[in-house]
Amino acid sequence: MLALRILLRNWRGGQLRLVLGALVLAVAVVTSVSLLADRVEKALINESSSFLAADLVIEGNARIAKKLVDRAQAIGLRTASMMTFSSVVYHADAMHLASIKAVESSYPLRGAVRHSGIAFSDDQTAIQTVRSGPPLGEAWADARLLPLLNIALGDFIEFGDIRLKVSRVLIEEPDSGGSFSLIGARILMHVDDVETAGVLLPGSRVKHRLLVAATGDTGSHEVAKYRDWAESNLTIHQKLITPDQAQARIADTIDSGRRFLLLAGSVGVVLAGIALALASHQFALGERLQVGLYKSWGLSGGGIRRLYMAYILAIGLLGSAMGVVVGAVVQELLVWLVRDWMPIDLPQAGLRPWFTGMATGFLCLLGFMLPAIWHLPDLSAMSVLRQDIPVKTMSTALRCVLGVLTSGLLLFWYSRSLIIAIAMIAAFAAIAVAAMGVGLSLLWLGKLMAQYLGSIWRLALANLWRRRLQSLIQVLGFAGAIALLMIMTVIRTSLIDDLQLQFDEDTPNHFVYNVASYELAEVEALIDQRSLETSGWFSMVRARIRQINGEDIDAEQPDSHRSLQRELNLSWSSSVPDNNTITSGDWWRSAAAPNREEPAPLSIEEDLAAELGLEIGDRMMFSVGGLNFEALVANTRSVNWDDMTPNFYFLFPEGVLEDYPRTHMTSIYIPPADKLILNDLLRNYPTLQVIELDKIIERVRTIVAQVTRGLEVMTLLILACGILVMFSAVSLSMSERLQESAILRTIGSSQRLILGVQWIEFTCLGILAGLLAALGAETALLLIQHYLLELPLTGHAWLWLVGPSSGGLLVGLLGVGYSRKTVLLPPLEVLRGL
Amino acid sequence: MINVTNIGKKVLVAETELTILDALSLNVEAGESLAIVGPSGSGKSTLLGIMAGLDIPTSGTVEIDGLDITAMDEEGRAAVRARHVGFIFQSFHLLPALTALENVALPLELQKGSDAEGTANRYLQRVGLGDRTGHYPRQLSGGEQQRVAVARAFACKPTILFADEPTGNLDSVTGETINDLLFELNREEGTTLVIVTHEHSLASRCSRQLHLKSGLQFTPLEQMSIKC
Repeated sequence: MLALRILLRNWRGGQLRLVLGALVLAVAVVTSVSLLADRVEKALINESSSFLAADLVIEGNARIAKKLVDRAQAIGLRTASMMTFSSVVYHADAMHLASIKAVESSYPLRGAVRHSGIAFSDDQTAIQTVRSGPPLGEAWADARLLPLLNIALGDFIEFGDIRLKVSRVLIEEPDSGGSFSLIGARILMHVDDVETAGVLLPGSRVKHRLLVAATGDTGSHEVAKYRDWAESNLTIHQKLITPDQAQARIADTIDSGRRFLLLAGSVGVVLAGIALALASHQFALGERLQVGLYKSWGLSGGGIRRLYMAYILAIGLLGSAMGVVVGAVVQELLVWLVRDWMPIDLPQAGLRPWFTGMATGFLCLLGFMLPAIWHLPDLSAMSVLRQDIPVKTMSTALRCVLGVLTSGLLLFWYSRSLIIAIAMIAAFAAIAVAAMGVGLSLLWLGKLMAQYLGSIWRLALANLWRRRLQSLIQVLGFAGAIALLMIMTVIRTSLIDDLQLQFDEDTPNHFVYNVASYELAEVEALIDQRSLETSGWFSMVRARIRQINGEDIDAEQPDSHRSLQRELNLSWSSSVPDNNTITSGDWWRSAAAPNREEPAPLSIEEDLAAELGLEIGDRMMFSVGGLNFEALVANTRSVNWDDMTPNFYFLFPEGVLEDYPRTHMTSIYIPPADKLILNDLLRNYPTLQVIELDKIIERVRTIVAQVTRGLEVMTLLILACGILVMFSAVSLSMSERLQESAILRTIGSSQRLILGVQWIEFTCLGILAGLLAALGAETALLLIQHYLLELPLTGHAWLWLVGPSSGGLLVGLLGVGYSRKTVLLPPLEVLRGL
Repeated sequence: MINVTNIGKKVLVAETELTILDALSLNVEAGESLAIVGPSGSGKSTLLGIMAGLDIPTSGTVEIDGLDITAMDEEGRAAVRARHVGFIFQSFHLLPALTALENVALPLELQKGSDAEGTANRYLQRVGLGDRTGHYPRQLSGGEQQRVAVARAFACKPTILFADEPTGNLDSVTGETINDLLFELNREEGTTLVIVTHEHSLASRCSRQLHLKSGLQFTPLEQMSIKC
């Protein structure tokens, strides 16, 4: 209580304001970033859950055991069973091998099903969005089923022993994501109708899924608990699918954005930490008198330590609470700024970010403030009588070590990467050493040059030299802040460019495949007619792997690799496809004519090669519709699967596969206005398949925009931290500045002279800081380019221009603005107060 | 009240040992007032600090109220200071962020005394600043600031009051007012008073004076004139 009262009284003295300001800023930066990251993460899980129609899926080839369902329901989770398989449906003489998805009425647990009353139309008024599957006796079908069976909505189709009414056109169900495995027209029906129809016989190839979701809006603790339990209760035929596996691409984007946010946040915290350490140092100087008095009044060292501990606790609680509130407001502001890009409402954050914010506050106090005031209880009681008693503060080296450790801990905690934490600390250290060396030399040079300059310059440069330690601290703080801002700006720009590059306006957003050779010319013509551009047509041949190095593959063996259990797509190319890189072996020379007697050379994707244990020179036998041929692994490739063009695991030279039955595929950019071309394609060529990725790409693009905005606001917060370091550093020399200014004014110097001196001092400091910052940033960026991005080394000339000029201007303005009270206070008041 | 026996104080300055006090002994009786006078650098403040238990001598003993404070650790001396000792300083040592009332109340609060504010108020009235209780040090003149410091010192009801050049920063008229106040309160409260001063007018009002002489060598005890 007493500590709190003393704290509130000391607030008036102003010493505490910088301390509290730095603490509030540190906590605010972390809280806003953590809150945002948490909410975006939750939104991501929700989004991905809707891609999965659940929070968690168990998939297997046999019916999911009842105990798995019961267990989920027992701990309060919702469930829905689902089966997918291919089955023939009839109407009159027409028949079609359809892709059946049979669901319980509780389906979907996440996301919604959209269906329409009109086929091949984008009439929004006919479209309904529902959170349930079809009722018994009804089927919701792909529009293309209607021309295939020659039926209209409302007609009945025959399915095994029963008849189902095709009541709606199925437009989209949440988990319809691009799967190659089912190629018939999709039909959604009730799972109980499958039993009645009796279409499933022992041995039928059916995929069973159990969808599981929490009752609330977001995935919860129960889901995690269930997942842990289920993992140890699955058979080898079953697997778990989680949302992040379902939407790896969005997860990647968000993850890099989130990591960057957290990293930026931790940089902000480290800067705020430096500010806190400087402010605490200043605070400790001001507390000496108070501690001396406490001692003279009979308070023991232990009592004083307890008092300051309570005091720090009070500052910690107050500062952290204020920081958390400011952080929450800033975060709301961030969300408000990006509201136009938000496709969805962000869910509320959990408790963790609030805890993170508060914990950061206390950690900062422990690492940055406590060392600065640690010596106070041990001050000699005599200091109250004599000012010249030496004060044993904690050694600068130990304080630096504690500060670096705290910074490292914070960096590691937020970035979750030891390498990043070490790299950032190293960058700080490099700037510090450079600041010491280069800074001192430049200050010394300035002092030498001053004798050839005017009196204002002489005074200013002499001041800088005399206060060189404080000057260096100021240079260090500001150079660090400017350098980090520069690094962040460059990385942010390249990160955004990198993300956006993948999603240019005309990035293909549809895959068209299963186009028969005899249809190809017509389909191409139809696409040309609409002036749409494809990524080029690729041929593919469906094949199975029969042998590897002479050993037969047993496809039925349950633990065999999935690519050994199913048909694969083979293709051919005379040159290495774009965005593919040979990682071992050599590409074939295009002129080499294939020799049918010898095994064909084969190029295989490197990850698959590793999973199958294949190496250069291994032999494989493929079977295409019963015809076998041999191949020899000639090289492995890395493939960029994200470039939205057709990519293949297996590639052969031209002339190997051309004689086998093949289909064709391409990817294509279809703008929203031309979307109806899909109807023409599907109606005219019913066997053709389309995967629509436009919605996913749009979503990713939106997220990239949001992340970008977030990064920009973060940059501003970092700037605020840098400014705070500046203020803290300037305040270290404030009493000395006040005294000098008062003496100068007493002996008749004009305000112009004093302000002139300050302008020169601060601007020189700023220019020096800017130069060092450019040096630091350039070094760090070159390292990052070389080791992380593996890009050719390019300099950033603008850093050398922007650094010193912005540094000079900013530090000049802020420094003079902050210390202008040296000319505003009456000299007598200043001198009396000393 | 205070027994100083054969104390010496040596300090290291730039690797050279300096003797500030050497074999000095004196007694101060309860209720007595003692002035320690002497030129700058003669060790007056050092002696005051040692007598008050703020510092320890290199040799010799100091007893306060029969307790050997030189044999105690810092915690023990702090307890003795809390029970017996009050201070007035040359540069007032008021905390700038606190009002006059808060400055006087703070030591009482730290000693967990009851009704700290009421006591502080009473003493501020006593030193004639009853209408300035809410003012900050910077809003008070030097004399007024020292009166607040006097109020703060007496409010804790010390048995011994140490004053280090209490009027050193004040003009002679204001200084005289402060001196009057100091001796009035000293009489009223029955406090033992130990004052370090340059001023003869102040020293002459004390019941005893101790002259410390400094020279090339620090004055040993036998050369010291003790005037009662």
